[in-house]
Amino acid sequence: MAGSLAHALRSPRVLLALAMVLGLGVCAIFAGFIAPHDPGEQNLLSILTPPAWAPDGDPSFLLGTDSLGRDVLSRLIYGARTAMLVAVFASFGAMIIGTILAHIAGYFGGAVDWIIGRLVDVWMSFPPVILSLILMVGLGVGLDRVILAIVLVDWTRFCRVLRSEVLIVRRHDYVAAARLLGFSHWQTIVREILPATLPLLITLFSLEMAIAVVVEAILSFVGLGVGPNQAAWGQMIADARQYVYQSPWNLLLPIFAIFFAVAAFNLLGDGLRRTLDVRLAQAER
Amino acid sequence: MLVIVAKLVARRLLAAVPILLVVSALLFCVLRLLPVDPAAMSLPTTATIAEIEAKRREMGLDRPLPEQYLIWLSDALHGNFGRSIQFGREAGSLVAATLPATIQLAGAAMVLAAIFGLGGGLLLFHLRGTWFEAVTDIVSILLLSIPEFLWGLILLFVFGVALHALPFTGAVSPNLPQPHVTGFLLIDALLVGRLDVFASAFRHLILPALALGLAFSPAIMRVLRSSLFDVYHEDYIQQARLRGLSERQILLGHALKNAALPTLTLAGVQFGILFSGTLLVEVIYSYPGMGNLMVDAVRNADLPLIEAIGLTYCVAVLLINTVVDSLYVVLNPKLRVR
Repeated sequence: MAGSLAHALRSPRVLLALAMVLGLGVCAIFAGFIAPHDPGEQNLLSILTPPAWAPDGDPSFLLGTDSLGRDVLSRLIYGARTAMLVAVFASFGAMIIGTILAHIAGYFGGAVDWIIGRLVDVWMSFPPVILSLILMVGLGVGLDRVILAIVLVDWTRFCRVLRSEVLIVRRHDYVAAARLLGFSHWQTIVREILPATLPLLITLFSLEMAIAVVVEAILSFVGLGVGPNQAAWGQMIADARQYVYQSPWNLLLPIFAIFFAVAAFNLLGDGLRRTLDVRLAQAER
Repeated sequence: MLVIVAKLVARRLLAAVPILLVVSALLFCVLRLLPVDPAAMSLPTTATIAEIEAKRREMGLDRPLPEQYLIWLSDALHGNFGRSIQFGREAGSLVAATLPATIQLAGAAMVLAAIFGLGGGLLLFHLRGTWFEAVTDIVSILLLSIPEFLWGLILLFVFGVALHALPFTGAVSPNLPQPHVTGFLLIDALLVGRLDVFASAFRHLILPALALGLAFSPAIMRVLRSSLFDVYHEDYIQQARLRGLSERQILLGHALKNAALPTLTLAGVQFGILFSGTLLVEVIYSYPGMGNLMVDAVRNADLPLIEAIGLTYCVAVLLINTVVDSLYVVLNPKLRVR
């Protein structure tokens, strides 16, 4: 595992993706230091100003202001914080639930597997967008609610893929050997099976972060996201959509921000998949 | 052959029934456990506590949850989903009025996604082994990173706002009449012989359909390419080459047919998601379909309408999966034996 991680770090794709993720992470963590303005501060005397390099630009608002005179650059930076918080915590939650259920289903098989399998089937017959919208009606707006909704919708992605991986790993001799040595079921899963499914888990986690960023943007766009007091890229888009003729930049910048974040996580996931997946890596070498 | 497919479709549909029952129960429970009171919401804000209580009894809300569900289910099976709280109309009829527009959009988008996916996949495969490959590989991952929601906004900006080339709000120009025969605007315009309405509706459909098509084609592209790679390792490709067939004949006559199967499986899943992806595209383009209605219902916590639309989306996705599964059997002789 350590060896394949070192191998992954030599892939230019993974390095580029990590650099992009790092950039977003710095924006998210140090938003308070980097952002020139408070993201909620309204300057009603200077609304919809263009970026500073445009003819009517104001140098104190580097990327211009929105329809309430809020600084676009600061909102983009704080939006990165919202997006990263959702990406990390929602993916982590979905991973925990999905991984536990997948390992239980794949390891024990039989009736437990059947029940978990049907649960996943039912869950997946709900289109994710529809299910998350319905959940948001119940949960109400807010950052924690968005995270919870994504966890409740997306655990199936982990569960379905990991379960089939566990089914394969379980048949290996070393798993049977562990049982013969007197390992409990729990010990066998944690010490023998989990390390084998870990590469796939890491890849799925990275891809899920991309999905979480998009879902957060979508929910904020339709006004059922993190709420009006928190800067979010989806909200910025919804606001700019109404003034697209006056200030096209306000629409393009958050679109680019979402694209950048999603591309970073997808590149990372793809790079990790290529280098961590033993079978795929051997086939390509 | 036809019998086998018919049997398969019937079996699939039967298997979908329990799923649909559980889904509807789940939907019902989630929405009933919400901290919103449908009785209070369907009355004016001046209603007294006693009036709300009476309404609750009338709506059956004082009974146990399983009983409420059974009442709702038997009503729903008769096409009665209850009255929409914000519109005051039957939720079922509201869905029926907007569903054709969504199907029309999803259908057009699926055709585009299939064309782009097929063309792009063949192109990617054709470029294998050249220095373009690494570039296309990165580009296709970047393309995968643009969801339908961003494509919608990008196309709206480029073709609608910047170039003024295409309209980007509604389903047809507001100054034109909207004929109503089948509910499918493109078909209705032709039925009543209004070519101007047809042209306008067509132009309004381009950007939303393109946004969805572009968003869902990269995945199809990549799977087609990798299945073509797999197929080219098979002996019969080598044999075809030895028989002196041209590379073009091998690709189109032999390899594509076999690579189509895994691609189709993925496309089926993609089309299921695409159908629900119409929701956002409809919101972005103010397109009068079911997705816009859903967002409206969700914003106003209009429970009967949310239930009706949520269930319709699930049925649509299950139907699409069934159709794709049957197509799979039609194309794969190995599955026809039983």
